[in-house]
Amino acid sequence: MAYFIVRRMMIVLLTLWVASIIIFAMLQIIPGDPAQLMLGINATDDAVAALREQLGLNAPLFERYINWMSGMLIGDFGYSYTYGTAVGNLIAERITVSLPLALIALALSTLIAIPVGIFTASRRGTATDTSAMAITQIGIAIPNFWFAILLVYVFAITLRLVPAGGFPGWETGLWPALKSLLLPAIALALPQAAILSRVTRSALLETMAEDYIRTARAKGLPARRVLWHHALRNAFIPVLTILGLQFAFLLAGTIIIENVFYLPGLGRLIFQSIQRLDLMVVQSVVVLLVASVIFINFLVDLAYAWADPRLRRQG
Amino acid sequence: MSPPILNIKDLSLTIGETKILHDIDLQLEHGQIAGIVGESGSGKSLTALSVMQLLPNASRTGGTIEFNGQNLLTLDENAMCALRGNEIGMVFQEPMTALNPVKTIGEQIREGIRWHTNASRAQAEERARSMLDRVGLPPSQYPLERYPHELSGGQRQRVVIAIATALNPKILIADEPTTALDVVLQAQILDLLKELVADNDMALILISHDLGVVADVADTITIMRKGVVEEAGSAVKVLKEQKHPYTAQLAEASIHMPAWQNRKKPASPEPLLEVSNLSKIYRGRRTGVFSHAPDFTAVDDVSFDIAAGRSIGLVGRSGCGKSTLARMVLGLSKPSNGKILFDNKTTTALDDTTMRASRRHMQVVFQDPYGSFNPRKTVEWLVAEPLFLEDEKLTRHQKQERIAAALNEVGLSADAMKKYPHEFSGGQRQRIAIARALITRPKLIVADEPVSALDVSIRAQVLDLLAKLNDDLGIAFLFITHDLSVARAITHEVMVMDKGKIVERGQTGDILDNPQMRPTQRLVEATPDLQQAIKRRSTAK
Amino acid sequence: MSEHVNNTETEGWRTFRKNALRNRNFLIGICLTGFVLAIALISFIWTPFDTTKLVISDRLNAPDLTHLLGTDHFGRDILSMVMVGARNSIAVALLAVGIGIAIGVPLGCWGAAKRGFIDEILMRSSDIIFAFPALLSAVMITAIFGPSATNAIIAIGIFNIPVFARVARGAALTIWSREYILAARASGKGAVRITREHILPNITNILVVQGTIQFSLGILAEAGLSYVGLGTQPPDVSWGRMLNEAQTMMAIAPHMAIIPGIAIIVTVLGLNLLGDGLRDLLDPRLRRER
Repeated sequence: MAYFIVRRMMIVLLTLWVASIIIFAMLQIIPGDPAQLMLGINATDDAVAALREQLGLNAPLFERYINWMSGMLIGDFGYSYTYGTAVGNLIAERITVSLPLALIALALSTLIAIPVGIFTASRRGTATDTSAMAITQIGIAIPNFWFAILLVYVFAITLRLVPAGGFPGWETGLWPALKSLLLPAIALALPQAAILSRVTRSALLETMAEDYIRTARAKGLPARRVLWHHALRNAFIPVLTILGLQFAFLLAGTIIIENVFYLPGLGRLIFQSIQRLDLMVVQSVVVLLVASVIFINFLVDLAYAWADPRLRRQG
Repeated sequence: MSPPILNIKDLSLTIGETKILHDIDLQLEHGQIAGIVGESGSGKSLTALSVMQLLPNASRTGGTIEFNGQNLLTLDENAMCALRGNEIGMVFQEPMTALNPVKTIGEQIREGIRWHTNASRAQAEERARSMLDRVGLPPSQYPLERYPHELSGGQRQRVVIAIATALNPKILIADEPTTALDVVLQAQILDLLKELVADNDMALILISHDLGVVADVADTITIMRKGVVEEAGSAVKVLKEQKHPYTAQLAEASIHMPAWQNRKKPASPEPLLEVSNLSKIYRGRRTGVFSHAPDFTAVDDVSFDIAAGRSIGLVGRSGCGKSTLARMVLGLSKPSNGKILFDNKTTTALDDTTMRASRRHMQVVFQDPYGSFNPRKTVEWLVAEPLFLEDEKLTRHQKQERIAAALNEVGLSADAMKKYPHEFSGGQRQRIAIARALITRPKLIVADEPVSALDVSIRAQVLDLLAKLNDDLGIAFLFITHDLSVARAITHEVMVMDKGKIVERGQTGDILDNPQMRPTQRLVEATPDLQQAIKRRSTAK
Repeated sequence: MSEHVNNTETEGWRTFRKNALRNRNFLIGICLTGFVLAIALISFIWTPFDTTKLVISDRLNAPDLTHLLGTDHFGRDILSMVMVGARNSIAVALLAVGIGIAIGVPLGCWGAAKRGFIDEILMRSSDIIFAFPALLSAVMITAIFGPSATNAIIAIGIFNIPVFARVARGAALTIWSREYILAARASGKGAVRITREHILPNITNILVVQGTIQFSLGILAEAGLSYVGLGTQPPDVSWGRMLNEAQTMMAIAPHMAIIPGIAIIVTVLGLNLLGDGLRDLLDPRLRRER
C-alpha cells in the first residue's frame, strides 16, 4: 500500500511538472507584446522596454520558467500589472466564489445521481426506470450554459426569485451569497447528474450479472440485500472514475457559467486575463486548476485502492 | 423406503421463446449422491438453477420440484430465500469469479450464517473458522481476513464449498465444481465433497460433463442431452449395462482410443526437434522502489528431443510450465537460456527472416475453438494465413487448391471456405484450426490442449483425425494436455512436467501404467478412470 | 450448416438490419441524426430566407407564419439561421473527431503492439492532457491563436486524441491476447501486419461507438466556445454563436436563445442514442452472451 501511494505520488509530481512546462510554453507563443498591450499604443518605446524589464520578459525563457516555478513553490504567484495586485491575492479572492460553486454543484449532482442510479437499477425495466432513463438521456444532451440562460429567464427575469447575475460577496451574509450561487450550481449540476446516474445504474447492473452475485443469492440473501451489500461497493469503481472526470468538467464548466452569471470567480478571471494578455495571472490560475484536477484524480486512485483490495498491491 | 428428499417431476423450462428443458424427472434420496451427466447444451446446469430458483429473467417453468413437501416452483421469493443456503446450498463452476473480490473470505462465509440464524457475530465467526478448517484451509494459515485474490483457484473453490455447506444444508448442488481445476485439485475437491456429504448426512447433486468424474461417487446417474433425460437409474446399472445408446456413446468417447496404425511404429532415429537446457525466467513484479517479488522460473533447464513422425505428449498440472515451453518452441516467446534446434537449424534467434523456414514446418493448434479465429475473416482467409510463410508467391488458383486440400484433409468440404468461423460448431472450428496448421505441410504440429474445450463425443472425432494425420502425413506432434486419457489415446511417448522441470519420460503405456516419480503418480491417481470405476463398483455390489 | 446461404456478407447485414429495426435507441437516434444532417445539407441549396441580408424592420419578431421560428435582432430568419448553423456546428465537431481518430488510433494501436516503455510514455502523456479540463484548454488555445472556427476544431480535436488513443489501446490489448494473434505470429506476421489485418477490423465497432459520443461532445464544445465568443466568428453562423447573440436579448426575445438550444439538444440526443444503439448492435460481447 505504501509503495502504491509513493508511486502514485511520483506520477502526480511528474504530471504536474510536465503540465507546468506545457502551460508555460503555450503562453510564450501568444502573439503580441504584453508590455505594449498594458501601456496602450501611445506608450513610448522606453516605457515599454522598462516595463518589459520589470515584468522579467527580457530574461531567457529557461530563466523565466525557473523564476516562475520557484516562486510558485514558495507560494509567490507573481504580480498582476493589469489588476495591480499580487496574483496570489487575486486567486485567494476569486476562489471564494469558484470553489463553493464547484463543491455545491458536485454535491448536488452526486446527491441526485447516486440515489437515482440505485433506484432505477433495482427496478430495471419498469416504467419508472424507463422514464427516468429517458430524462437522463435528454439531460446529457443539454448544454449547461444554455440551461443556465433558461434558468435565468425563468427564475430571475420572469419570477424574480433570485438575482440574474453578479455576486454580492460573502460579507453581505451567507444567504444572499448562496442565493446568487444557486442557479449557477443547478445549471452545472443537473446535466452532470444525468451522466452520473446513468453510469451508476449501468455499473450496478453490470455487477449484478457477475458470478459472485449468484453465489450471494445462493446463500439465501434477497436480491435487495445483495444489491446493497455486494454490488454497490463493486460498482463504486466506475462511478468514482466518472466523479473524478466530472470534477475537471465542473471546473471547465465554471468558466462559461461564471460568464453567464457574471460571477467574479477563477473562470472569469482567466477569461479576462487572456483578453488582457496578463500572462502571470493566466499561467498561475491554469496551473492551479490543472493541479487540482491532478490532485482529485490522485484521491480517486486512493479511493480505488480502498474500494478494491486487489489494487492495493499494485503500482 | 422413505420418500425422496427432492423430487423433480415433469420439469420444463422455457426462456424467452426457446424451450430448454422437457419433462425432466429426478429423485434424490436422503444422504445420496445423484450424478447428472451431459454435454454442453444438455440443460444440466439449468436444471440445478431451477431447483435454486435462480433462473435468468424471462424464464418460465412447469412441472413440480418437491422438497420437504413444498413445490419449490410455486414458493414465493421470501420462502426461497429462507431455503437457499440454509436447506439447499450450491457450488458453481468458476471459482475465480464466484467470490466477491472486495470482501474478505471470512465476511463471505459469515454472512450466510448470520442471515439464516440468529448467531452473534462471534459465533458466526467461530463457525466460519471451523468451516474453513473443515474444507482444508486451516485458519492458522488462511485467516478469515484474506481476500479472494490472495487464494488460488482450488482454495477459492474450497471457500465456496465452505459457504455452501456452512449451515449443513440437506441438499448440496455442485455444478461442474472441478471443471476449471486441474486433475489433482479435482480429485481433492471431489474427495472433500464426498466426505462432507457423508459426515453431515447431506444429499448431493453432482453435475458434470465427464462420466468418469461421476462414475466413482454417484449413487444414481441421470444422463441428459438437449434438455431431455436420456437415461436414469442406479449408477452401477447405468454404467454397467449402458443400455441407452447415448450412454454407451458417452462412455466409449471418454475412453476412446483412435485406430492408429503408427501407434506401434518404432521411433525413427533422426531427431526433428532438439531442445537443450531451455529455461524461462519471469522477473518478479515490483513491490517497492528497490524491491521485486522473487523471480519466477516457469521453465527450468529442460532438454528433450522429438523424432520425425513421433507424437510426444507433454503432461502436467496447470501452471507447471508446459504452455510456456510450447510457446518457446514455437518462437513466440524468447527463452531466458538454452537452445532449440529444429530441422538442424537453431530457432532461438527469433529473427523473422531466418525463422520463416522453421515456422513453415512447425505449426500450432490452440485450445479454444472460439478464440483462435479472427471473427471478421472468412475460413478461406484464415486457413491461408500461414501461406504468408511460403517463399514463392502463390497464384490465387494455387492458393485455393491448397486450402481446399487442407479442408478436405480434416473432413470439411471446400464450400466451407466462404463462411465465417461463427457459422461452425466447436468441433468443426477445431478442424479448421487443424486445416490451418496443415496448409504449409509442416513436419511438426504443436497442439496446446487441442481437445480439452470440446465435448467428449467431439473430442473422440478430433483424436481420430489427429491419428489419421500422423498415419497419412507422418506429422510429428508435441501434444500438450492435462488429461492423461488424451495422452494415452494419441501419443507414443509422454513427458511429465512439474514445477518447470521434466521429471519423467518414456513410452506412454509404461509411464501411465507404472509411474515412477511422485508427480506422475499423483497425476495418474487423480485422473478419473471410467473403466476402473465401473469394474470397482460392479464387483462391490 | 448446409442450410446457410452462400453469401454470408449479406447474411450478417441482414441480421444487423433485423436487430436494428428492433432497437429503439438506434431507430430514434438515426432518425434524429439523419434529420439534422439533412437540414444541414439542404441549407446549401435552399433556406427560407437569406441569412446574410439584414431586414431591420423585421427585428425580434416572435414566431409567426412567415418566420416560423421568428427573427433575431437584425431581422434575420431564425429557421434559416438554425439550418445554416447546423453545418458549422457539425463540421467543427466532425473534423475534431477526425483529428482524434487520425492521430489517436494509430498511437493507441502502437502502444498496444509495443507494450512496455513506449506504451507507458503514451499513456502518461494522455494522462497529462486529461489533466487539462478540455474547455479550459480550448479557451486558452483559441485565445492564443485567435478566435476562429479552425482553431476551435484544433482545440477540440487535441482533446479527442487521448480519448481515441485510450479506447483504441484498450480494445487492441484485449485483441492482442486472443489466440488468433498467436496463430498469426506463428505464421510469421509482424506487429504492423497483425494490427492491420487482425486488430483494426476488430476494434472498428468500438471506435465507431466512441466516434458518435465524441461527435456529440464536439457539438457541445463548439457551442460552448462560440457562446463565449471564441469559436465561429460573425458573419458565420453557428448554434453557439446564435446563443451568444441571444443572451443580451433574453428578456425581450427568449425564442432567440431557446431555438438554437433545442437544435443542439436534438442533435446531441440523436447522436447519443445512435451511439447507444450501435453499441448494443455491434458489441460482440453482448451479442454472443446475452
